[in-house]
Amino acid sequence: MTVADLKKGQKAIITDSSARDIPLKLLEMGCLPGNEVSLLHIAPFSDPMYLTMNDTHLAIRKQTAALIEVELED
Amino acid sequence: MIQEILVGVTVLAAVGYLVKKFFFKKNSSNSCGSGSCGCG
Amino acid sequence: MGKQINVALVGNPNTGKTSVFNQLTGLTQKIGNYPGITVEKKEGVTKISRILTAHILDLPGTYSLNASSLDENIVIELLLNKNHKDYPDVVVVVSDIENLKRNLLLFTQIKDLGIPTILAINMADRMERKGIELDIPQMEEQLKTKIALVSARKKTGFDELKKHIKNYSLLPTTPCCNVSSIDKSYFDKLQQTYPEQERYKLWLLITHDANFGELDRKTIASRNGLPQKTKDEIKKLQHKEVVARYQFINGMLKACFKQDLNLAKGMRAQLDKVLTHPVWGYLVFFVILLLIFQAIYDWSTIPMDWIDEGFAYLGQWVKLNLPAGMFTNLLAEGVVPGIGGIVIFIPQIAMLFLFISILEETGYMSRVVFLMDKSMRKFGLSGKSVIPLVSGTACAIPAVMAARNIENWKERLITILVVPFTTCSARLPVYLIIISLVIPDEHLLGIISYQALALMAMYIIGFGAAIAAAWIANKSLRVGTRSSFVIEMPDYKLPIFKNVGLTVVDKTKAFVVGAGKIILSISIILWVLASFGPSDTFGNARKNVQAEMASTDPMPQGVDMEQRIASYKLKHSYMGIMGRGIEPAVTPLGYDWKIGIALISSFAAREVFVGTLATIYSVGSDNQITIKERLAGEKNTATGKPLFTLASGISLLLFYAFAMQCMSTLAIVKRETNSWKWPLLQLFLMTGFAYLTALIAYQLLNL
Repeated sequence: MTVADLKKGQKAIITDSSARDIPLKLLEMGCLPGNEVSLLHIAPFSDPMYLTMNDTHLAIRKQTAALIEVELED
Repeated sequence: MIQEILVGVTVLAAVGYLVKKFFFKKNSSNSCGSGSCGCG
Repeated sequence: MGKQINVALVGNPNTGKTSVFNQLTGLTQKIGNYPGITVEKKEGVTKISRILTAHILDLPGTYSLNASSLDENIVIELLLNKNHKDYPDVVVVVSDIENLKRNLLLFTQIKDLGIPTILAINMADRMERKGIELDIPQMEEQLKTKIALVSARKKTGFDELKKHIKNYSLLPTTPCCNVSSIDKSYFDKLQQTYPEQERYKLWLLITHDANFGELDRKTIASRNGLPQKTKDEIKKLQHKEVVARYQFINGMLKACFKQDLNLAKGMRAQLDKVLTHPVWGYLVFFVILLLIFQAIYDWSTIPMDWIDEGFAYLGQWVKLNLPAGMFTNLLAEGVVPGIGGIVIFIPQIAMLFLFISILEETGYMSRVVFLMDKSMRKFGLSGKSVIPLVSGTACAIPAVMAARNIENWKERLITILVVPFTTCSARLPVYLIIISLVIPDEHLLGIISYQALALMAMYIIGFGAAIAAAWIANKSLRVGTRSSFVIEMPDYKLPIFKNVGLTVVDKTKAFVVGAGKIILSISIILWVLASFGPSDTFGNARKNVQAEMASTDPMPQGVDMEQRIASYKLKHSYMGIMGRGIEPAVTPLGYDWKIGIALISSFAAREVFVGTLATIYSVGSDNQITIKERLAGEKNTATGKPLFTLASGISLLLFYAFAMQCMSTLAIVKRETNSWKWPLLQLFLMTGFAYLTALIAYQLLNL
């Protein structure tokens, strides 16, 4: 599953963020395996997504979110 | 006479300023070369 | 006069770096540009001790030293070039308490460059509220630096920061995080080739296309024995570098950073619930926009009236009290109305910058980006285009530059192309004066003024045109590009008065001084053109008018006679001759030759329009009246009816809304797109469209 599949309020752990099209800037903001990500809000028409990742609050588009592999936290 | 000279000087200054501003603007080259640094 | 050292402030965006800078430098700061490029350069001076002053440079905000934009390149170009005149003796990395982890990434990178580096943790006043505790001595030991906890808002911690700056030479310059482990053999080879350089510095040289002075990528690449890296390999290594740094940072923070989340309080969640809501979010945005227009139109008219009357009086005073002659006339009829034409708009421009700077300071702008992204994408724009489009309401030049934040080239290009449609503050003077002439000064339901509504309509037309043009450009441009979009959503903050105040003062001053010089020069030239003419007509004005009138009116005399002579003179001055030359082109739009002249001079800068009309109409007139009264009384020289009617007014408004009349914007677009193609496209398409709509509007309304 990927970040794009998260529902509002869900938390997950990043398992893989090595896809080529993930911008370096996102990695630098903490999009790295082992870090927690949670979905705070979704903009109208379900895109972009407002996340917290590594304690940073940020928004990315769904197509980028779909590249980040995650596992749900229990 | 002084008034005419002052007018002449002012007008020359105005023309000079505009010419300098719009026609001799230094086009210093972009220090950023090729690649992805803000120029596409 | 003691010693002066160079201090560079570096930090992530949204950390309050500029507030720290403002706190350190106050009114000594200067804002300029880096030579050759249009990145804002902020510098100032602060006193560190009795014998030591510091020259402080506020570098553009960046998340890391892996630069991907022009602004970020500035940071590495300075930090890697020891021969640069601003090369820092000490770097202060400004971080904020809540995003410490992410901010430390940049810190560890800079620390690896071998420059003395101090960590300033800003917003320390929020620690308690967020339940955060820090073990500063241990952090200092692990990061091999000195740390100052500061609060730009509460103005605390600056003595400590200055103390650390004073003792900068005692700071260790060794790296705190060893990243060469990401590819040990490669980094060892680099080190062997250049034993005197820091490894990380060499690595940055290899991965960037910037200008570092002493060494560059090609020189390094040409050295024998160094293995070459492909783009993909470099990206993988950069990925590894980030992971390695975070490992170090996480390890350290585990020991030094404690947060009791039960204590953490904040408005973020509640505010976001409303401000990013699919319905309330848009509603709030709309209400904020309405408030801004109400403020600009209604509230700032009071000081504007004073200024208008003041200048009318000043012109009169000059005429009465200085020795009569040509230069006095130039002052009273050219210079004073010319300056008045710009000074009058200071209240509104300041108000506009005030609102824009508050929206950015509070963190609200990012929410708008978030809300608008999906809908903007339909038009080939990005949510981030909102910032250029909104700051375009101040001036298209910074707006075109603000488009640099857009990662995707096609979205960025389209944003640059359509930004000049937004209603910039230079259009404001024109709109205001025309609206006040042709729209009744009444209130809808007794509250909302029709004139404010008209002004808002003009802004909506501007945005609408921008969006429509973007849609067309999106359909017709073939530019292949990958899409990526990352935006930080900073925490909400109350704006710091000092930051807002300094922004308003600086921007207003730049606007008034920059445009003021052009307007003044053009006013002077126009006055000359309007005051002289060929001797056979202009020189014999009295005789010709008398001869002309003798045939129709047997007893011409008094005031009427003088006025006829003045208008005859104007008509036969050099300017009148030029104006009547272009009259056939502007008559179908409902203008006379005087407006034609004003239109042409507007291509230097739009705000010249009002000054031009003021100058044209004041030549030869003796009465003390304001610009507005003058224009209201003006008759169309061709038809004899009032010049400013609803039809001609709307036609003029539309012309100014769409025409590309700003040489400075064209120059900046050329620079940002690296081609003449795009600015020329803007010039011809926009102006052609403006002419067409103005023509249609006038012809329809005049039926």
